[in-house]
Amino acid sequence: MHPITLNINGEKHEVSVRPHWSLAYVIREKLGLTGTKTGCEMGTCGSCTVLLDGKPYFSCLRMAIDSGSYAITTIEGLDADGKLHPLQQAFIEEHGMQCGFCTPGMIIAAKALLDENPVPAELDIREAIGGHLCRCGTYMRIVKSIQKGARIARGN
Amino acid sequence: MEYFNPGDLNEAYEILMKYGDAAIPVAGSTFFMGHREELFDEVDAVVNIKRLGLSYIRLEKGRLCIGATTTLAELHRTGLTAKGPFRIFAETVRELKIMEVRNAATIGGEVCIAGEVDMPTTLLAYDADIVIGSRNGTRTVSMSEFHKGYLKNALQTGEMVIEVQVPEPGRRTGGGFAKFERTAADLPIVNAAVRLTLGRGDRCSDARVAVGAATVSGIPQRADAAEKVLLDGTLDDERIRKAAAASNSIECVNDFRASAELRTLWVECAVEDAIRKALTHAGEEK
Ligand SMILES: Cc1cc2nc3c(=O)[nH]c(=O)nc-3n(C[C@H](O)[C@H](O)[C@H](O)COP(=O)(O)OP(=O)(O)OC[C@H]3O[C@@H](n4cnc5c(N)ncnc54)[C@H](O)[C@@H]3O)c2cc1C
Ligand code: FES
Ligand code: FES
Repeated sequence: MHPITLNINGEKHEVSVRPHWSLAYVIREKLGLTGTKTGCEMGTCGSCTVLLDGKPYFSCLRMAIDSGSYAITTIEGLDADGKLHPLQQAFIEEHGMQCGFCTPGMIIAAKALLDENPVPAELDIREAIGGHLCRCGTYMRIVKSIQKGARIARGN
Repeated sequence: MEYFNPGDLNEAYEILMKYGDAAIPVAGSTFFMGHREELFDEVDAVVNIKRLGLSYIRLEKGRLCIGATTTLAELHRTGLTAKGPFRIFAETVRELKIMEVRNAATIGGEVCIAGEVDMPTTLLAYDADIVIGSRNGTRTVSMSEFHKGYLKNALQTGEMVIEVQVPEPGRRTGGGFAKFERTAADLPIVNAAVRLTLGRGDRCSDARVAVGAATVSGIPQRADAAEKVLLDGTLDDERIRKAAAASNSIECVNDFRASAELRTLWVECAVEDAIRKALTHAGEEK
């Protein structure tokens, strides 16, 4: 076992890991942050997406042991001062989910997009979620939710 | 399983040599983590190679040098590979629709996988060389010699890929890349990369047609018959279609992703598409 420190949503977590443990496994099973979902655990669904220094990665394909030097953001880290993130608010208002399994990954990928491009075109949004599956087929509403989240974030 | 995170190349070489075949270099880890149970069960030492200073894209003496741990996202957004004579690299990455994989996967990882990946096909069409390092020094192997069969490459015990080099294309040269996949999140079923040079009277003076992900051999291959049709001709519609049709000389694999028959058809389509893109770009280059 190797001791590491993960910086998740601004909080430091000390944890011992094996080299082949995925970041997704450690976040969920060792740290109890179950907002991040795991669907396929082989990079084909997007539900495990987290941000490392602001960029989206599949946490199932990332070695936890190689994640210590980054600021990690999971879905639990998005709301601030008791207020939902504009994207979370928009997903509720636009019904951007049915079962909700894909939602954390979708919102995290969308946050990475909006942080880089606050006024995304519809194609930019579709590209940003290109690696994300929604088994309920809510894609149209997900795109609308992200568009609305972008508007809320811009204050209109 | 042990884990190493060396800070320089010599340290990495020592570990790779010491553990021999029980050690593997890991870069983006997108393939390693996805296949760790089936393919890497016997691995005793994981060597993280991301702190070795191998993330760079630069031009040196007329060759594009790409460090092994340069990510696909970096190839997509960096000026040298996003525009100009090497934009084929950004165009190849653009066809991989998963942003999260682009952020993690590296060119070294892509090159080492002889199978359903895109970059080796483009590198074959661009006459690239793979620079290999180990405790015993460095050696260079051409992309056409680097893959040895499905999931097999030319690396020997203790070696790793440190750089990919691509000769600068001559004047009036353009590249095109095209591919088919089942869904955005799946691996390619067929890919094709083409490089064309226009000579006097807009006749084709040099041509490379490479096809990957579809072949029985499991590795990217040049479609020699298609290249022959293109060479020395003016690239009108008829010749382009004839060249694409000639790429059916490539023997396609039959597997759960697609039948050999379907792949053969799609090779033709992908090659035609890539030729047209290459021709457009060649016409734009001075
Ligand atoms: C869902 C999904 C879809 C994908 N679709 C595509 C696609 O359409 N097209 C495409 O081109 N790619 C695609 N990829 C990426 C591709 O399949 C590989 O995952 C990727 O190229 C591996 O890069 P890496 O840096 O993560 O390699 P790693 O996982 O770190 O390593 C891969 C292998 O190469 C070895 N290795 C890595 N670097 C070196 C080096 N420098 N020297 C020696 N050995 C090394 C490792 O030991 C390992 O065996 C996809 C990946 C996923 C998960
Ligand atoms: S669980 Fe990571 S991509 Fe599906
Ligand atoms: S809402 Fe159910 S998977 Fe997307």
